[in-house]
This record gives sequence, structure tokens and C-alpha cells, in this order.
Amino acid sequence: MVRESDQLRSEIVALLPRLRRFARALTGQQADADDIVQIAVERALMRLEQFQPGTRLDAWLLTIVRNAWLDEARARQRRAKVFADAELGERVGDGGEASAHAKLEANEVRKAMQTLPEEQREAVALVCVDGLAYREAAEVMGVPIGTLTSRLARGREALQRMLGAEQ
Amino acid sequence: MTIDAATLMAYADGELSAEERAEIERALAADPALRAQLETHQKMRVQLGGAYADILDDPVPERLLSAARGPTPQAAEVVDLSARREAKAKWSVREWGAMAASLVGGLVIGLGAMNTQAPLITVTGDGMSARGTLERALDTQLASDEADAVRIGLSFRTEDGGYCRTFELTERGTSGIACRDADGWDIPMTAAHGAQGDIRMAGASEAVLNVVATMIDGDPLDAEAEAAARDADWRVDSR
Repeated sequence: MVRESDQLRSEIVALLPRLRRFARALTGQQADADDIVQIAVERALMRLEQFQPGTRLDAWLLTIVRNAWLDEARARQRRAKVFADAELGERVGDGGEASAHAKLEANEVRKAMQTLPEEQREAVALVCVDGLAYREAAEVMGVPIGTLTSRLARGREALQRMLGAEQ
Repeated sequence: MTIDAATLMAYADGELSAEERAEIERALAADPALRAQLETHQKMRVQLGGAYADILDDPVPERLLSAARGPTPQAAEVVDLSARREAKAKWSVREWGAMAASLVGGLVIGLGAMNTQAPLITVTGDGMSARGTLERALDTQLASDEADAVRIGLSFRTEDGGYCRTFELTERGTSGIACRDADGWDIPMTAAHGAQGDIRMAGASEAVLNVVATMIDGDPLDAEAEAAARDADWRVDSR
């Protein structure tokens, strides 16, 4: 139905900032993140009829973003391609100023996220960055809630070790 | 009682029931070490949220917007306004503002390029109004008439009782809505559309129809009512 798909498209447009943020948390780089979001949006539109009205569009799209990223990450591993790590080398001056300090901290947090295993990173991204409930995050990842919470706990512990030690 | 790490994390993530929360809060009150652990969780959430917060405010790249909007569906569609209304296709003030801003720019250029022809739309101090061929078409042409430079789409009444009609300027890739007032036809909106033409059989673009849905009172006029309104010169009599 064209009418419904128009409505869905405008809802998808409205969700783009969140999808970009989630993809950024997964990929570590905005250019990669935008590539992933673009692939995901194209896939979503091709399968629009698979979306169940009455279910959550955001969770459906986050799932497609996540799967697009997993496909890409696997392909990169096959190619043994080293990720461009420009972001990881990024530094923000000496700080001193509050905003510079905040930037530095944000940068440290993002760097720490990138060191997590994929499965922990996506759990943290869905719950602590995007704010999904456990049940929704588990659905996006296609795992039972218990698996989600243990990945989430391990991811947080690792982040805490990395970030807590520096403060 | 002791609170395990998983339960404390669930508490920090807002996953617990009111009853469970009350239990944790009793334990927190009695246990400074537990409070410190909770604080660690909360700080981590704030840090993680903050680390990616800027992205939400970034302008979304154009390539993603156009990917999401996708290609224009080509198939002719039967216009169903009631379904559109149910879909609550309301326009926010911001969208209206953006459209108005892009319109003024587009129109000035459009009219400038076409200055060998009589203008069809003029921009006045308080909006736009129809002129020339467009004004005549709005006065007299029916949806069923052969379209020339102007194709008429839906005619309908608004909540304040006046008549409005959708139109398409066939040579300019523009469609819009015109509403009859004492001086002629006021044009509250127009929308440009691509060369591919997302014009439906009803003669209006998606954007136009979404706005019609927010303005219309009842159903669009049928052919008989349309002709009667035209014959009465679109005057609004007391109903």
C-alpha cells in the first residue's frame, strides 16, 4: 500500500538521527556509520511489507542497522582489512576548559567502546546509548534477555576498568 | 538483604517493578558500598549518553534523507483522504515554515525565468494568489475537463465553509492548493515535484494531499457538487 509506505518513510526519516547514533556507537566512525545507515535504510525500504504494523519501527530499523553492520564487519575481517583508525588517534588539545574536557571525555568513552567485543558493544549501545529496554534490546540482537544482560554487564565492567582507572 | 550485581544494574537501567525498586532502595539506604556501585552505573550511563549525544543534533546527510524517501512510487493511486487523515498527516509549524521558505525562493526564480509569459502565481504581501490562466482554470475548469496548462484535482470545503481546489501546473512541475476568498484564489501552499512526476490521477502530489487532509471538512466534492459550486461561482451560501 503506497499510502502506508509514505507514512513509514516519513517515520524512517524522523528516526535517522537515532540510527546514525547507534551505527556510530557500533562502527566507531561517522563515515562508516552513515554507510551502514544508508545500506540499512535501503534494505528496510525493499522489505517494507515485512514490517508488522503495530510493532515498533525503531526496533525493526535498529535490527536492520545492526545486521548490516555485522555483515560489513564480517566482510572486513575476511578481507583482513585494517580499520581506518583516524578517530582513535584523535586528541583534543590540553583541555582545561570545560567543553574541551567534555570532548576529551567523550572521545575516551568512544575509544573505550571500540575496544569491546562486538557483542558487548552492541548491548551497551542499545541499552545505554539508545535507551532501549532489555527486552527490546534482546529482540534486536536476537538473543534471550539473560544473554543480553550478561553481555551488558561484561561490557560495562570492561568500560569501567578502562575509564574508571584514568580518573 | 544482599543485592546482586545484575539486580543493581537492572535497577540503574530502570528495568525493575515498583516493588523491586522499593526493596533495592531500602538496601541502598542501609549500604554505602551499594550506593557507590549504583553511582558507578549511573555515571557510566551519563558518560555513554554524552559521548554520542552530539550526533542527534547533527544535520542528517542528504544522501541518507534521499535514501529514506526513496524513489517516487510510479503507480497511479486511488486517493483515499480519510485514510490519510487517520494517518494524522499533520504538518508541524517547522515543516510549514521550511516549505514557505523554499517556496519563496523557488517561485521568484520560476517567475523570473518565465517572464515572457503572464504569471500564474503572484506573491503578495500576505501570501500568494492565482493569476491569469490559473485563476481562470480555478474559476471554471472541472476535474473531468481536458487539462491544458492547468489540471484541476480535488475540490473540497474547509472547516470554515470556503471552497478549495488542488491544481497542477502541467508545464512547471508544480502542484498546490488554492482557496477561494473574496478577492479571488488565495494559494496557501504549492509543492514542486520532480520531472518523473509523482502526480496521481487526482492531480495532486503527495505533499499537497497530506495538507488537504488537514484542511478538508467531510469528503471531496463529487462531480455533481463540483459543477454546482462552479456554476454558483464558488460563492459560499449559508448551509
